[in-house]
Amino acid sequence: MGTSDTFRSLLLEYGFAFILRIWLYNSEFKATISGRVEVSTPINSWKKVTEGVALYKDGINPYSGDMFHESPVGLLIYNQMIDYAAPFLPAIFIIFDLLTGHLLYLTAVEYMKHLMKRQNEEKHEFSDEVKELLLTDKDVRRQPLYVVAAYLFNPYILFNTVAQTTTVFSNFCLALSFFSMVKGYRFAVCLFLSLATLQSLYPIVLVVPAAICIGYHTLPSSNKSTTSVEKCSYFCQKLLPRALQSSNSDHWVTSIATTMVLFSVMMSSLLLLSCYISGGWEFLQSVYGFMLLVPDLRPNIGLFWYFFTEMFEHFRLLYLWAFQMNALVLYLIPLSLRTRRDPILLAATLTGITAMFKSYPSLGDVGFYLALLPMWAHIFPYLQQGFIVLAAFIITSVLGPTVWHLWIYARSANANFYFGVGLAFAIAQIFLITDILLSYTKREFILRQVTNNVFNGKHRKLVLA
Amino acid sequence: MIVGVLICLFLSCVSGLGQSDLYGDEFHEELLLKQLPSGHVYSYFQFTTLWENGGDEPNHHCHLFPQSLSEVLHLYNVDEMHLSLTGGLWRHENWGYPVISAPPGAELWAWFKEGTEDVDKKWTLLSNALSGLFCASLNFINPQQSLNPKYSFAPLGAYASGSQNRSLLRYSTLPREIVCTENLTPFKKLLPCDSKKGLSSLLNAGNIHNANYHSLGIHVRPQCKDVNCQQTVLELRQTVSLVYDLIILGPESRDWSFRKLFGVGLAGSCPLAASSRIYVDTSSNGTSSIYTLTPEPTEFISSNRGGYNTLFAVYDIKKTNIINMFSISSTHKGPRVQSLNSPPVLHATRYIVGYGQEHGGIVTKIHNNHWKDLDIILFENIPWFLPIYYHTLRVTTNEGKQVLKPYKKHYIPGRDRSRPYALELLVSLPPRSVVEIYVEFDYSFLKWQEYPPDANHGFYIGAAVITSVLPHTKNYTGIPIDGSTFSSSINASRDTYPVTLHTEILLVTLPTPDFSMPYNVICLACTVVALAFGPLHNHTTKRLQMLDPSEETKGLLTSLRMRLKSFICKSSEEKEEISVPTKTVKVKSKESASEHKPCESKSTIRKKVKASSKSST
Repeated sequence: MGTSDTFRSLLLEYGFAFILRIWLYNSEFKATISGRVEVSTPINSWKKVTEGVALYKDGINPYSGDMFHESPVGLLIYNQMIDYAAPFLPAIFIIFDLLTGHLLYLTAVEYMKHLMKRQNEEKHEFSDEVKELLLTDKDVRRQPLYVVAAYLFNPYILFNTVAQTTTVFSNFCLALSFFSMVKGYRFAVCLFLSLATLQSLYPIVLVVPAAICIGYHTLPSSNKSTTSVEKCSYFCQKLLPRALQSSNSDHWVTSIATTMVLFSVMMSSLLLLSCYISGGWEFLQSVYGFMLLVPDLRPNIGLFWYFFTEMFEHFRLLYLWAFQMNALVLYLIPLSLRTRRDPILLAATLTGITAMFKSYPSLGDVGFYLALLPMWAHIFPYLQQGFIVLAAFIITSVLGPTVWHLWIYARSANANFYFGVGLAFAIAQIFLITDILLSYTKREFILRQVTNNVFNGKHRKLVLA
Repeated sequence: MIVGVLICLFLSCVSGLGQSDLYGDEFHEELLLKQLPSGHVYSYFQFTTLWENGGDEPNHHCHLFPQSLSEVLHLYNVDEMHLSLTGGLWRHENWGYPVISAPPGAELWAWFKEGTEDVDKKWTLLSNALSGLFCASLNFINPQQSLNPKYSFAPLGAYASGSQNRSLLRYSTLPREIVCTENLTPFKKLLPCDSKKGLSSLLNAGNIHNANYHSLGIHVRPQCKDVNCQQTVLELRQTVSLVYDLIILGPESRDWSFRKLFGVGLAGSCPLAASSRIYVDTSSNGTSSIYTLTPEPTEFISSNRGGYNTLFAVYDIKKTNIINMFSISSTHKGPRVQSLNSPPVLHATRYIVGYGQEHGGIVTKIHNNHWKDLDIILFENIPWFLPIYYHTLRVTTNEGKQVLKPYKKHYIPGRDRSRPYALELLVSLPPRSVVEIYVEFDYSFLKWQEYPPDANHGFYIGAAVITSVLPHTKNYTGIPIDGSTFSSSINASRDTYPVTLHTEILLVTLPTPDFSMPYNVICLACTVVALAFGPLHNHTTKRLQMLDPSEETKGLLTSLRMRLKSFICKSSEEKEEISVPTKTVKVKSKESASEHKPCESKSTIRKKVKASSKSST
């Protein structure tokens, strides 16, 4: 498969994806899809955006009510979009979606190159027996195509685009951040991550993989003359525990600190801009307070809604903290330490975890991290629960709308049915993510450790201990 | 604009209530009986108390004015207060306009005195006090449910300044409130003669709550003392509106009498009342039906108001010599004629559209039967759990073909659990048209403890209020703003006639969770979180190892025994087992023949540990 073949298949994918989206936009399903609770949450639904823009135009502060939860910067952009590009809205959404797909493709290409490079560097560590397990050029060419296909033809992403949710834009920002991450563009990563954070808060966790990734990219190949920055970092290094002090640790400290500071500066300037646009800090409560405190208990694919519907009032705050920490910080540090050698995997895992455990998840978020996974298609043979996960995804995707109809329209089922399906969906996602992580570790282990002498002619077991 | 008209009206206020006795207090009792075009009988009681210096001194001696109410009003700085407790719906289309309109349930609105601080607190205290006074659930009114309308509910009293500080107004409704005997008894206790003497003795709980529509009203406002309006008096109007369906009340369904309507006769007037009159609207006598009233009325008064003539048969109870019991009855003659009802100029209906419990819409249809444009103010009061989409608001006429642009829109978006959605529209209704106002809403999902005990009964949405000024008085019975008693509406021609309409209240069934499941839901959701936590914790804190599985592969029973043993020995070890994937196994089988050197790693150490633990047990 040559470059022209790749180009042709890419073009084919985009063309087909575009036609598919155009068809769905003009079909009778559009209204049904955009009304679905799985796709449109209070955070991302286009109806709420229209409401906010209508209020804004009539001189009513959209943040004084409880109908609009986008950031003020978003409000300004959507206002312009509705004013000047109202007939072309579907086209805008489709184009952004295709661009996201293409960015993911470029990300995957870059990442595969990086994987290949690393494999070549470390080849001497691997034993001869594992040659079959190594990445091949074919994998490197194919996996980016899988990524773009998994994005563009993912039904979850299709629904998300057709429902015109603002997740399309946050996915675009995320894809840009992933792309700049693999490319090592510090400024761009910080900018797009802060934009994504401004819109939906949870991408803030991606700062850590981004900082690590940028650190790898800026790793000095040889020792240069000490600059003032390095001098400064020398003192920082002194503060570190001895175990972390290494020849490159001053680089790491400066690099990570620079990324963090740059991100904070961008984030705060975006917040200041938002304050300037909306004329006050009221939006903080309406946007981030809404995401963190979960006052709207409309069902979605997450765990929050029914949990906090049924929660006892005096435990509400405790569990809010517990659940939000679970989504934001609980796994951040351990996973960062564990998968620090592959920050892109870390970023994808964190995206998956937040998409699962965030307060108002939508199918658009799920589809985005699912589309990232084919970058690791070479570890799929190690998955143990692949079939279960696939079956659970299919069954819950069918069963969810069915029991929703039974509950809300036919009134012959109740909330437990829908929640049960949501639980199954969450469990499937959990299995998928943990399985991917384990398989990745397993492959690394086998590449490095498995030599013929490990096996004494009998079965051996790999265990986590 | 309408407010301007109202202000003009008080400036030209005329009140012909001259004679005041020793205390400067007056009490009037009146009853209006009217046969409605639909065959129903409308009886309207009004007990008016006028209290001189009422608003001035807090501890002023109350002569006729109820002490309990006066204390509440003084304590909370209330200028003007309107309370109604209603059961049933007034059907404007068939019945015309009532003297005072009220929505189903309870409605309370009040203007506080200029300079009142913390109006919200005073409002809460006022509603709580009134709750105690009238045994109604008014204590459920809190600032979170209350509104501060911008155009509707203009003050009706006489004030020194024409400007209104709208922040002093509070409005709230309790559409679910059920009105019954326990509200009527305290209501009657506020009257100077209680229910012992006078027209109030007709207010028999059993018969009142038998009516199709019953409404109690308490209306307090400052009123001009005389024509010059140099001084004001405090006016209290206690009203009872009843609509009886004669078909339900018994045989000979066209005829009515006091006995049939109220169950009792009248023993006489209240001795404390300055006037005690019964008005029977006999305008329809001779046209749609022919009936005779017994006994003969004291006099007939013809009222020409805004071009429409009304003939009242008046019974002055003060002048009537009542020996035993007094009762008015009407006896119909001739064949039964179903009169053609001509609906009033302005009337409205409201309903919910959509199916399922996900998305819906509220439609308010306002009919203008006049040949000219009619300006109205529509006030929608939607609770927070029915979030409406402002951008979907459509004002259309001509069956949706023509879009109308409201003159003014005032919208305050609601907030979850703290503020309702308030929408006010100033619309000009085209001549002979039906204007449809449509807005979409979502069904909310509440916390399980926010649902009422009978959650599947549904939630009530308060009535929309339409305020307008009518060009003529067809079907109109309202009292002019400058008058206090019903008698002041006789021959009271004005330029315009203010009218307030309340639409239906709505019942919405919100989707409910399973109320029996809190523990299960909490457990299950936490289990799912733990499912993620376990493997991720293992993955981040443990290392992959090759383990000789010779012990583990002996069989299920052996492995179980091993596990039990290791558990007893508290060697908390292997957590997760992963078999080598097929690809690797293939590699292994190929290479298995080569040299056998045990891997000096943790796994061998672990084996040793295991062996020692075995021997120790």
